[in-house]
Amino acid sequence: MMDIFASLAHGFAVAATPTNLLFCLIGTVCGTLIGVLPGLGPVATISLLLPVTFALNPISAIIMLAGIYYGAQYGGSTTAILVNIPGESTSVVTAIDGYKMAQQGRAGEALAVAAIGSFIAGCIGTLVIAMAGPPLALMTQKFASPDYFSLMVLGLISAVVLANGSMFQAIAMIFLGLLLGMVGMDINTGQPRMTLGLIELSDGINFVALVMGLFGIAEVIANLEQVSDRVVNHSRINSIWPSMKVLRGAWASVMRGTFIGTIFGILPGGGATIAAFSAYALEKRVAKDPSRFGNGAVEGVAGPESANNAAAQTSFVPLLTMGIPTSATMALMIGALTLHGIAPGPMVISRQPDLFWGLIASMFIGNLMLVIINLPMIGIWVKLLSVPYRLLYLIILVICAIGVFSVNNSAFDIYMTVGFTLLGYILRKLNAEPAPLLMGFVLGPMLEENFRRSLITAHGNAMVFFERPISLVLLIMSAALLLSIAVPSIVRWRGEVFKET
Amino acid sequence: MKPLAWRGNVDFFSGVLLSGIAIFALFYIRTLEIGTVLQMGSGYFPLGLALILLGMGLVLIVKGVLSGGSAVDTIYLRPLFFVLLSFALFGVLVERAGLICAILAQVVVAHFGSRETRLLESIVLAAVLAAVSSVLFVWILKIPVSLLP
Repeated sequence: MMDIFASLAHGFAVAATPTNLLFCLIGTVCGTLIGVLPGLGPVATISLLLPVTFALNPISAIIMLAGIYYGAQYGGSTTAILVNIPGESTSVVTAIDGYKMAQQGRAGEALAVAAIGSFIAGCIGTLVIAMAGPPLALMTQKFASPDYFSLMVLGLISAVVLANGSMFQAIAMIFLGLLLGMVGMDINTGQPRMTLGLIELSDGINFVALVMGLFGIAEVIANLEQVSDRVVNHSRINSIWPSMKVLRGAWASVMRGTFIGTIFGILPGGGATIAAFSAYALEKRVAKDPSRFGNGAVEGVAGPESANNAAAQTSFVPLLTMGIPTSATMALMIGALTLHGIAPGPMVISRQPDLFWGLIASMFIGNLMLVIINLPMIGIWVKLLSVPYRLLYLIILVICAIGVFSVNNSAFDIYMTVGFTLLGYILRKLNAEPAPLLMGFVLGPMLEENFRRSLITAHGNAMVFFERPISLVLLIMSAALLLSIAVPSIVRWRGEVFKET
Repeated sequence: MKPLAWRGNVDFFSGVLLSGIAIFALFYIRTLEIGTVLQMGSGYFPLGLALILLGMGLVLIVKGVLSGGSAVDTIYLRPLFFVLLSFALFGVLVERAGLICAILAQVVVAHFGSRETRLLESIVLAAVLAAVSSVLFVWILKIPVSLLP
């Protein structure tokens, strides 16, 4: 226990340097910004700002990128409550009761409960990373290549649970991603593979171009197809300070939401959106009078908002301790770390203590910043909503173009982005989610590496994956997860979760 | 531009797309050394992936033909075409004509991707974006790209 506090103190020393504080602030402000603006998610924004971080040291970079992610959870609730437009999919359920509260003149109350709940959940979630991280990393250090292979299989299967729509299609998307990840030089032989004879592809497909095309620009095009009807007519905010009575009522919901969010964040296939939906469902179930839900129940704001923040924090646990992403955003973080020359995995905590503890400490600081950014300055964020999309999309496109170009200073990457935008658009029209594709793309090279190494050490015996106990357990978990998606009640639950997003 | 009144079957087209990509990949994997389980060549893993993808694509095609899954969403060509064109134009111009021209051209072309844009507004925005990007990206962040031809 003492170790953790000593390490945390060290982390605060790292995070509290002026540079890191500045980038933490930039990250959280950017996160709030995109959280407020619908039609621009954290995945697109992080990939947008990724090239900008190249000039920074890895610690500042990851502090800023993480700030964007959890900052978006705060910002998303603001617009959900005030104008009934959830800025992020994680805030969709918040809008149900939050907007009702605002209409009843309790907007300030709802915003305060959301922010305070988010803050408490964020801090507890961060504490969980600090406590669970080191032992988990220690455990993962015992992993041999077959175990890693199975761990990655589990990570990939979890992407299927996350995906909206057909499971079969989602699995196919994983394989497409894995295949795209193979493009470039083979690590073992140095032979170029599937590079179409292009020298630009010998380092593999540019990660930023892929993400920007699939998630960023394809989304812009999809948004342009809809006629925007963003009439911003927001409720007035009277007092942002809730009464003690309200706080007492929300307290238990915040705790339940935090608990659910923490669990869902760590679990493969979890993630902030599902955590928020589950928390809402739980609040409705435990309430004495469920009919209040949908009519401005404060629990309906407190629970989900706490859950999505807790999950946003704890989803860093599998990333930092095992190098496994549980969501598209975390896959992006892996890409970001790799671009900065850090291999995410169990060695991060012992080899890069500054990075791990600095990041954790920055999360405490960032959460505090977010409460300050969000509550008193709420008016500014709402004003932002009046920026019409007809201007916003042009700005997004230009920043995307410069962002992609600046990675390698190559126009080829721009053309590649055009290709991936087209692919992303087609996939969208075919109801296929690009998130599993990204997971496959990021994990592909590692998966192959461990597969090859396992079979070499096992002298070509494919049973090696079932003979090692750790690997076997992980494979059984993957199979159980895959089968569970086919269970009727879970099918229904998934349907409900994604119906509204 | 009117939305394209073109309807099809999601499963079928997903299958066509995936098996198409798989066959394309197989064409390039063909030249790689495959090896054996003990001595895996560079083509071993990609070959396996491409074959699985091909199989899944074919299953989707069959499923699409037999069951006739849900229809494909309406495709609007206007935003797709102009956004892609604006992006490609940026790529062509940025190294040849400089960042300022590239941004101006990109914004003006992307302008036609939406029916809600107003030309004057977009032109002003293009000028502002070009100016801000020049200062922010070239001057402060020092991206090595020339501003003018």
